[in-house]
Amino acid sequence: MAYAYLFKYIIIGDTGVGKSCLLLQFTDKRFQPVHDLTIGVEFGARMITIDGKQIKLQIWDTAGQESFRSITRSYYRGAAGALLVYDITRRDTFNHLTTWLEDARQHSNSNMVIMLIGNKSDLESRREVKKEEGEAFAREHGLIFMETSAKTASNVEEAFINTAKEIYEKIQEGVFDINNEANGIKIGPQHAATNSTLPGSQGGPQTGGGCC
Amino acid sequence: MNFFRGVMGGQPAGPQPSGAETIQKLCDRVASSTLLDDRRDAVRALKSLSKKYRLEVGTQAMDHLIRILQTDRSDSEILGYALDTLYNIICNDEEEEQDESEEETQQKQVDDLGAQFTDRFIQDQENITLLLTILEEFDFHVRLPGVKLLTALLKNQCAQLQGIILVSPMGVSRLMDLLADSREVIRNDGLLLLLQLTKGNAAIQKIVAFENAFERLLDIITEEGSSDGGIVVEDCLLLLLNLLKNNSSNQNFFKEGSYIQRMKPWFEVGDDNSGWSAQKVTNLHYMLQLVRVMVSPVNSPGATASCQKAMFQCGLLQQLCTILMATGVPADILTETINTVSEVIRGSQVNQDYFASVNAPSNPPRPAIVVLLMSMVNERQPFVLRCAVLYCFQCFLYKNQKGQGEIVATLLPSTIDANSISAGQLLCGGLFSADSLSNWCAAVALGHALQDNLTQKEQLLRVQLATSLGKPPVSLLQQCTNILSQGDKISRRGSKVQTRVGLLMLLCTWISNCPIAVTHFLHNQENVPFLTAQISENLGEDERLVQGLCALLLGICIYYNDNSLENYTKEKLKQLIEKRIGKENFVEKLGFITKHELYSRAAQKPQPTFSTPEHMLFDHEFTKLFKELEGVITKAVHKSSEEEKKEEEVKKTLEQHDSIVTQYKDLIREQDTHIKALKEQVAGLTSQSEEMQTTITQQLSQIQQHKDQYSILKLKLGKSGDQGSALDGAQVNGLQQEELTQLREELDELRGQQSLLQTQLSDKDALINSMKSETATAASAQVAGASDTSELLREVESLRVQVQRQAAEISELQTERKELLRRAETGASAPATVDGAVDASKVAELENLLASQNEEMQKLKDELTSLSSNRTALDTELASANSTVAILQAEKTKLQNEVQETKKEQDELLMLLADQDQKILSLKQKLKDLGETIEDEDDLDTRDQFEEEDEEEEDDE
Repeated sequence: MAYAYLFKYIIIGDTGVGKSCLLLQFTDKRFQPVHDLTIGVEFGARMITIDGKQIKLQIWDTAGQESFRSITRSYYRGAAGALLVYDITRRDTFNHLTTWLEDARQHSNSNMVIMLIGNKSDLESRREVKKEEGEAFAREHGLIFMETSAKTASNVEEAFINTAKEIYEKIQEGVFDINNEANGIKIGPQHAATNSTLPGSQGGPQTGGGCC
Repeated sequence: MNFFRGVMGGQPAGPQPSGAETIQKLCDRVASSTLLDDRRDAVRALKSLSKKYRLEVGTQAMDHLIRILQTDRSDSEILGYALDTLYNIICNDEEEEQDESEEETQQKQVDDLGAQFTDRFIQDQENITLLLTILEEFDFHVRLPGVKLLTALLKNQCAQLQGIILVSPMGVSRLMDLLADSREVIRNDGLLLLLQLTKGNAAIQKIVAFENAFERLLDIITEEGSSDGGIVVEDCLLLLLNLLKNNSSNQNFFKEGSYIQRMKPWFEVGDDNSGWSAQKVTNLHYMLQLVRVMVSPVNSPGATASCQKAMFQCGLLQQLCTILMATGVPADILTETINTVSEVIRGSQVNQDYFASVNAPSNPPRPAIVVLLMSMVNERQPFVLRCAVLYCFQCFLYKNQKGQGEIVATLLPSTIDANSISAGQLLCGGLFSADSLSNWCAAVALGHALQDNLTQKEQLLRVQLATSLGKPPVSLLQQCTNILSQGDKISRRGSKVQTRVGLLMLLCTWISNCPIAVTHFLHNQENVPFLTAQISENLGEDERLVQGLCALLLGICIYYNDNSLENYTKEKLKQLIEKRIGKENFVEKLGFITKHELYSRAAQKPQPTFSTPEHMLFDHEFTKLFKELEGVITKAVHKSSEEEKKEEEVKKTLEQHDSIVTQYKDLIREQDTHIKALKEQVAGLTSQSEEMQTTITQQLSQIQQHKDQYSILKLKLGKSGDQGSALDGAQVNGLQQEELTQLREELDELRGQQSLLQTQLSDKDALINSMKSETATAASAQVAGASDTSELLREVESLRVQVQRQAAEISELQTERKELLRRAETGASAPATVDGAVDASKVAELENLLASQNEEMQKLKDELTSLSSNRTALDTELASANSTVAILQAEKTKLQNEVQETKKEQDELLMLLADQDQKILSLKQKLKDLGETIEDEDDLDTRDQFEEEDEEEEDDE
């Protein structure tokens, strides 16, 4: 269970866009067509590999309902990554993105990586939001974008892993302060040891410059 | 000013004003004074009065104090006083400490006071937000009272406060930061605050966990020395319990964060027993509680299973088992450890197997299970410990067929081990001991060995008990019923009801869902009358439970009856109930069980927890069984025989229908398979016939080829016969060889003769020479030379004859060859034509009879192969014959040449001879002339004359 890094994610977005299903597909590799409304926040975890390094993802899946908004806000600060999800078959979920984004930017640390996700890409016949629109929104706000389907598992892995890659790159660039756990990043027990003894490891000069 | 000064000093000197008046004055000053110092002094004065005049200060000064919090943020001193004052009026604990002597009614008033002021304070939510921002103030004198105040508020109005803090931005996160405070006092009070904050609020628990609470708390526990640490460790553990209890999301996070592994070192207490302080016992108790929270039977089975796995893998279970078997562990810790081990192994095969393998460090080593069971049936052990052991045993057997089998096996005659104490022996001992608690525990434990396990229910029927000397052994089942019916004879400690309830539960578990056991039970003639008597009797409150259980047992006898005993068929038992008890009465008695208060308590959770030994009446698993059976038994009893008949008829017709349908289904299935087989056959046959057709055509073409080859060969043979020399005919037999050798021999002979002739010739030359040298004197030699010549002539003659003979032989060979050729021709053509005819007829036959075709084909093939081999043999023979013919021809020509050469030589020789004769003649003439007389030979008269003339001529020359 040793890991090099631990990243904390949150999943946000309107109710019913498939946040819990995305998490279930990512952690358990299964799809549950009927899912209860999430109450508050639910936790899930999985290990991934990036650049040959084991990275543990701890993911908090939040309730989309307005009444839980104040609770879910408490999770922004400590997260390194956020998946902002809308439903491509419901335009209103896309229209609410601005509000979500404002909320996230206000409460999170400035380096939080946000991945915009248009979910339910399997329901092409009922599509209301074009892929181009999603891409345009993401470009405008400096987000990564992807269309996924929690049902068919299409792009689900990629969404989580690409977000992790982005965070990983930011660490390599020295943008994140990895010693502050409040950023949602933690160095694994082994990695911490090797990092201190082997300063010449990959990306060492950059991180070294950032830290010291 | 004097007045105020007096109040401020807290030592009123002059005329004592009432508290309320003073407080009012102070409040006015707080509100109106423009100088910070004045306000500060006033607040300080209020603080000092707040304990004594709590009500007054609270009612009059609260608003002013809040205003101070809002406006005087810059001065930490005044903030501190204000917070302290607020704390004093809101907190109830301080009062309790101070007014211990006060009466209870007053105490209640005080409690109400705190709640009242809290309500007033939180009426405006902004106050809480304000308090939260004040907590960001680093100053010790602000932060500490702030934390204390918030804690007190939470204690009084938990849910409301939680709601307000939850919605205030970063509220929980800010409070979490208190754990990181370097000042231990604040950190510790922060812990207490979080303890209150997280009480029963899952959303806050999750946020606190999200803010790395697990990591921090575990770090603090380690820093403080784990179980050896003080009350801070206890607070941390309590907070962890708050965060994890009934919060599956946090439990998952705890497990995923690999924090289970970090619990293992807590239990490395070892055997040293340096002492068990009260704090250490408390700490360990909560640590065990934490382990149990993760594997509680109320958690989802998947989550519990994964935690159980992790606990085994990281060695936590092993560590707990070490404590279990260690000496000197306080009884309550031991009890809780047993309970913890129980839940760590419950339903997990790997962990159960490990537990079964644990041995106590005794000599000889005994299985831990046996050691524990010994405590269970030991009256001197504490009640809670005995309950814990029972729970442990139940958890060991829960969903563990292997373990159930092993326990029952210790009772079976084939596997019993008389030398050591076994689990089965202990259980039987407990079942029949004079202690009702042991009876009950043993009965329930044994029942768990049979739970959902038909095999073991049947196996246990085999168990025989040796009672007293001289009497035949009694079956275990029999013994149980005996004790039930004659229980009164033995004087027992404890309640009789407990023993009987225990035994009845065991019997119900045993015979339910096991018709063989029901038959065994009914086989004893005394049992049914006993049960009916028990149920029908009108007994007191205590006995009602026993009656209900008897009704259940009788009901099971009906429901799981296979009608194998004539006297106790379903029908007869029902009639018995109707006549002797009455259906309604029976159902009512059955209903007593669920109405019992202890029944519902036992149904709540698997762990047997009873406040007193007398309350130990129901087992959790039994309540499950009862729920299952109550309905079906009521139904079974209520049904009249007619209804049942009808039902059975319906069933029968249904069954008939079913059977008809199944018959048809079978038929269809059969036909289906038949058709399938036939189809396969057809397909096989068609493919076979196709194959055969192809082979036929192939073979036909082969035959044609062979025929063609034959005709070609025939032609070739004919040609070679025409072209070949006379010797060709000799090819077939060995004569040719013989003749060849003969010819060679003759040739050799001829050669030998030739060489002989040549030697003779050379001799003659030599003779001639000698004669020349001795011309004058060698007349006699001349005679000899003449005879030699005649000999040569004769020899030439014989050679001619020989040559003629050879020519004749060659012609003979030629005729022979011709004959052989003819024979070969007839031999080759005859079989070919026959085969063709046979083939034609066979082809027709093959089309009808595919089976026989194979054979015939084979035959044909064989014949063909033999023919072709014949043909090739002939071919090779022909070729060899051809070559030998050629050789022979060459030899013949050679021989002819040689013969001609010899002829030429002979001619030359003859010429030579003639010359020599001439010379001889001339020599003779010369000799005559010289005066020598020469006797002429008769044969050579004329020639001699010639020779003499020649010789004379030569001589003349």
